[in-house]
Amino acid sequence: MSSPETGGVEWKTLEATDVSAGYYDDDVVSGLNLRITAGDFIAIIGPNGSGKTSFLKSLSRALRPRAGMVLLGDDDLYGLPARQVARHLAMVPQDSQLASDFTALEVVIMGRNPHLGRLQSAGPDDLEIARQSMEKANVWHLADRPVTELSGGERQRVIIAQALAQDTRLLLLDEPTQHLDINHQLALLHMLSAMCSQGMAVVMVIHDINLASQYCNKILVIKKGSEFARGTPQEVLTSAVLQEVFGVGSIITGHAVTKRPHVVFLPSADGLSAGAGPRIHLICGGASGAPIMRDLLERGAYLTAGVLNLGDGDEEVGRALELKMATEIPFSHISREAHEANLELIDEADIVIVSDFHVGPGNLLNLEAAGYGLESGKRVLLFSPASISERDHTGGLAASAYRKLAESGAVEIVGREALMDMVERP
Amino acid sequence: MEGTITITERLALVRRRKLLILGLLGLALLAALIIAVALGAVYIPVFTTAKIIASRLPLVGRLFHGTWEATQETVILSVRLPRVLVALLVGMALALAGTIFQGLFRNPMADPSFIGSAQGAALGATIAFFFGIEVGLGKLSTVPLFAFAGSLLAVAIVYLITRTGGRVSVASLLLVGIAFSSFLASIVSTLMVISKDRLHNIFFWLMGGVAGANWDMVLAVIPFILVGSIVAMFFARDLNLMMLGEERASQLGLEAERFKWIMLVIASLVVGAAVSVSGIIGFVGLMTPHIVRLLTGPDHRYLIPGSLLAGGLFLVLADTLARLVMAPNELPLGIVTAFFGAPFFIYLLKRRKNVLA
Repeated sequence: MSSPETGGVEWKTLEATDVSAGYYDDDVVSGLNLRITAGDFIAIIGPNGSGKTSFLKSLSRALRPRAGMVLLGDDDLYGLPARQVARHLAMVPQDSQLASDFTALEVVIMGRNPHLGRLQSAGPDDLEIARQSMEKANVWHLADRPVTELSGGERQRVIIAQALAQDTRLLLLDEPTQHLDINHQLALLHMLSAMCSQGMAVVMVIHDINLASQYCNKILVIKKGSEFARGTPQEVLTSAVLQEVFGVGSIITGHAVTKRPHVVFLPSADGLSAGAGPRIHLICGGASGAPIMRDLLERGAYLTAGVLNLGDGDEEVGRALELKMATEIPFSHISREAHEANLELIDEADIVIVSDFHVGPGNLLNLEAAGYGLESGKRVLLFSPASISERDHTGGLAASAYRKLAESGAVEIVGREALMDMVERP
Repeated sequence: MEGTITITERLALVRRRKLLILGLLGLALLAALIIAVALGAVYIPVFTTAKIIASRLPLVGRLFHGTWEATQETVILSVRLPRVLVALLVGMALALAGTIFQGLFRNPMADPSFIGSAQGAALGATIAFFFGIEVGLGKLSTVPLFAFAGSLLAVAIVYLITRTGGRVSVASLLLVGIAFSSFLASIVSTLMVISKDRLHNIFFWLMGGVAGANWDMVLAVIPFILVGSIVAMFFARDLNLMMLGEERASQLGLEAERFKWIMLVIASLVVGAAVSVSGIIGFVGLMTPHIVRLLTGPDHRYLIPGSLLAGGLFLVLADTLARLVMAPNELPLGIVTAFFGAPFFIYLLKRRKNVLA
């Protein structure tokens, strides 16, 4: 937010080199590096207690590093006067003590402090910046309210407005979304993202990995005080990294709209009553089966799948979920062996579900397997059968196979809800 | 939000309202001063009192001519006026120190007599009395200087003991402060016992009061309080920042460590001055900022002048009560302030249960 009233401040790069810092005797973070340049929108993620906040404090002149250095421009951050730092760098802490009866406006005007002389009062320009900041943080309507009367989310936004009123080009935020509802979370991140594209830089500690993925252009992953990974969301957000750092299983999909990585966390194994429900075999492929798999598992189904090529989206998810699967090597037609294995899995199942996967010559055998299910007296459910015309890459063979399945008693189902209803029906 | 009024105009409105409150407080103080001087064993009419005082003011004094008795003038100018002025100055000093301590420690229960400041000053002053130390500036300058040093040392020790991980909890500041105050008081008592001949004087001085006030005291204390008030006003906005917490204040450009020491020195300076002329008078520093905050809000640019006026007003009234309630005998002033202050303290504790939880 470079305002014409103050002319804005010149850009200064913030750079942490080999920073180790902590409280009492222990280093909470060690050997961390980060260079923040104009336009950066950086997320710092990591488990609780991994040192994210401490690192952010080190960057904000609140926690002097034991080793290493933080430079603002060419100067040691800890050698500069607080006022000068506060004109370049604003920080939004995690929890603010707003115990006194100042109004929201008075608190935001305090953000102008680094720009005011000792006996100078906030002038019209300062008040205008305060007003703009409050509008950006959506708290202008609270201007006259004492901050002690505000809700947690409102207080959080007042502090954000206060930091914006500092009119800096570097903004550090420690879990800025934590007291906010989803609407305000998105509004805040959208605003920060817009400011970054106008030449500011934002570094934030955030727990919501999907928000980080959607809005940030860089992610730093910290585990036990050290860097575990860094890079773009695409580079950093993988199942392997999340498993290693947070100890949770996940499926990474592309967000339907933003195309950024989207993380779906999996329920831990002991959270499921796996296998107690119906025995289901899922015939799928591509990414058609993954959303169904989780729903089925949550209903306690004993789930198998096949035939899937190794490395296929559904195969990866199935593997993460530790499903028993019939598989084929990548980019190959389904072999006789794999088909046989698939039929064996169908033998063990009560229900066969055919997902809306794309059918080509390579996996046409899977529809034959569904037919085998019908012959063996299994319930066969065809999911979204109408779309087969768009998914048929066999010149009509798949479509006619679908017709034959339907004629022989397969149930056609549209919609996941209906599918789950059908599965739960005895 | 009223659409037509700009933010600048709205803030100007708020400022005018607060200045009006300060003006009214000032008028109340002026009235209390004159009435306090008028009241006593011999009642002197309020207008006569006002005229006698006015006749001695610079510039305007010539406009008032002597239509009063010489004895009246003597009583007012040499006995009552210096006493009322000392009460005024001591009240101002204690209220200022209370405001600073409460802001600095973000502790609503802070009062110079609860955190070692007053007892430290008392010990410093007692040492000066006991050893008859004089530092060249005349006797009355020596005592406040020692009181100042004692107060600063005591608060610094209490503060450093209490602080853990950059935080000062309300409860531990009070506990450590009161314990350390008792420790200092025991040293003062020991010195009193040793110095048998001067015991009586020190004892009455420590009881807290302005009964023996004279013009020398007024002149000795004024510079301390003037400097203290001006410096405090200079840092008023920083005290506001401090209300957001030390870390946040630093992030908004405050050199917190340096600021805290300046404030401790200023508060100790005025407490030292007050204690050296009046002994230990509790609760003024506790109550005044709380009441003024209700009137002016938490902004120290108004809270500090408001507390100076209200603290002066309160102690002038309290001292008048001390003189009159049991006339011709006097109550020690410290007892009067405790009579009002202690219930107030308990009320605050009850209201802020979470403070000590």
